[in-house]
Amino acid sequence: MEKCAKGLLLATLLMCATANAAATEDPLGSPMWDYLRTRFLGDDRYRFDDRVRVELPPFAEDPTQVPVTVDASALAQPVSRIILWADLNPIQHIATLHPLDDRVAPSLSLRIKVQQATAVRAAVLAADGVWYLGGRFIDAAGGGCTAPSLAVADPYWESHLGEMQARLFSPYQPQGPGRARFRIIHPMDTGLVDGIPEFYIEQARLEDANGTPLMRLELSPPVSENPMLSFDTRGVDALRLWLRDNNGNSFAARVNGEGG
Amino acid sequence: MRLRPPGWLLCLLLLPWPLWQAHGSGFDYGLEPRLVAPDTWLVEGRREAFSRDNGGHIVNVAFIVTDAGVLLFDTGPSRRFGEQLRTAIARVTDRPVVHVFNSHAHPDHFLGNQAFADASIWALPDTREQIARDGDGLAENLYGLVGDWMRGTEVRQPDRSLDQALFEFGGHRLRLLAFGGHTGADLALLDETTGVLLAGDLVFYQRALTTPQTPGLDVWRQDLERLAALDYRLLVPGHGPLDREGRAVPQTDTYLDWLDGLLSASAEAGLTMNEVMQTPLDPRFADIALGRYELQRSVSHLYPRYEQRALEPVQKASPAPE
Repeated sequence: MEKCAKGLLLATLLMCATANAAATEDPLGSPMWDYLRTRFLGDDRYRFDDRVRVELPPFAEDPTQVPVTVDASALAQPVSRIILWADLNPIQHIATLHPLDDRVAPSLSLRIKVQQATAVRAAVLAADGVWYLGGRFIDAAGGGCTAPSLAVADPYWESHLGEMQARLFSPYQPQGPGRARFRIIHPMDTGLVDGIPEFYIEQARLEDANGTPLMRLELSPPVSENPMLSFDTRGVDALRLWLRDNNGNSFAARVNGEGG
Repeated sequence: MRLRPPGWLLCLLLLPWPLWQAHGSGFDYGLEPRLVAPDTWLVEGRREAFSRDNGGHIVNVAFIVTDAGVLLFDTGPSRRFGEQLRTAIARVTDRPVVHVFNSHAHPDHFLGNQAFADASIWALPDTREQIARDGDGLAENLYGLVGDWMRGTEVRQPDRSLDQALFEFGGHRLRLLAFGGHTGADLALLDETTGVLLAGDLVFYQRALTTPQTPGLDVWRQDLERLAALDYRLLVPGHGPLDREGRAVPQTDTYLDWLDGLLSASAEAGLTMNEVMQTPLDPRFADIALGRYELQRSVSHLYPRYEQRALEPVQKASPAPE
């Protein structure tokens, strides 16, 4: 009986300890957490917070094209940076976002490559100087980063490099944000395949019609081939997206809203 | 002289336990052929996704027993499945398996071929090409999904091409129907003698359909239109229960129509892949197994085509200075 009570006490203590640690202990239990936290966040303050929404399917049907959405709107405070990474990819960094204007939400949808089952995370630096972290685990058969891009087998991209498609969509729900979607032809080679050097878009900037920057982005090779980038916008009737790859090619496109 | 344990005993003791399991009661697919029409037997798969629990037994396999021998339609997901299928067939007839048909190049339909190496193995010419090209990759992928059930499985190519429209065998008049909506090369077989339609994976019933190689949902729906016009009494879908009421083809078609509409409307509204994957499922398909799972897969396979159609080519703007 006494033993039992002691056990209960211990269990209660343990539970309390866990609850206190919950905000700083990796809920995804990833072996790379400590290493990558130091790499991306240094010694900054951080906490795990469900208001940082990271959406991805439970499994990677195609490990070269895994859809990811990160959205920090629910934090309800200004956001200066969002870093997106996958713990167990050979190249962990996916993208860094610098939201610069209220007219574009602190969010992004894109598709990424995953090499194996991994945690995918977003770290959001908010105005209070704290990094807020969201993330989710994805199961995968693997090979997304070390598979050659489809472009390698098909010379189509050579004559179409940098061609873009885009559209500004009206809000899906009343009062909801509008959406801008951009697709660009680019092989996004990781450099991890024998004999194929890395070749990827590394910078992007979203601007309004007058050239005022709305968001700046740094991209890494795990962004999927022929990137598809989606932004949530408010009160914008025309947009420009400018991109530059690591070979110095730059691309830009302008898109008008459905009325314009 | 000291007594030493014989070497073979030592070897047996050193065997890793999964091997013990393989030779014991483990890896039993529990195949029970059921007579569903004159001469026609069905081994019905589970309405599930590939798993280590089911070993890939998610597919329907049918065979026709005649005086001239047995004709088998699809061979299952693994060598073990093929071997157990062979044993199960031998329980209901002493005739040998003479002809094997592979309906299409998905791994759960042809990886049991190894157990029937003494039969003629037939497939559509394009199916043979697909198996030659993708077979090893598909087998490897299935190893990853179902594990040791696959031990010893290797691709055994079909060695005969089906290019005729009629196949007469053992008093059965079989009409061969070459379609392409599911994978680009899909065989259906109508037994005009019994009125049984073996539809392969062109028809899924009470189990959400899969789309990884479809050339387009419109192509698939055209195939279904032709299937619906056939005179059959009983339909064996590639996955799901038998259909004697003519419900399976309309269900497959309704689902394809819904999926096509969902993907088009979503792309036109600017939705992301994740948003489409989370769309509420149509209540009409509430009883269909694996609805959410297969929707997630289909969005991954098909949505990029719809997205591209919904976007517009844009004028290149002059590159701005940094």
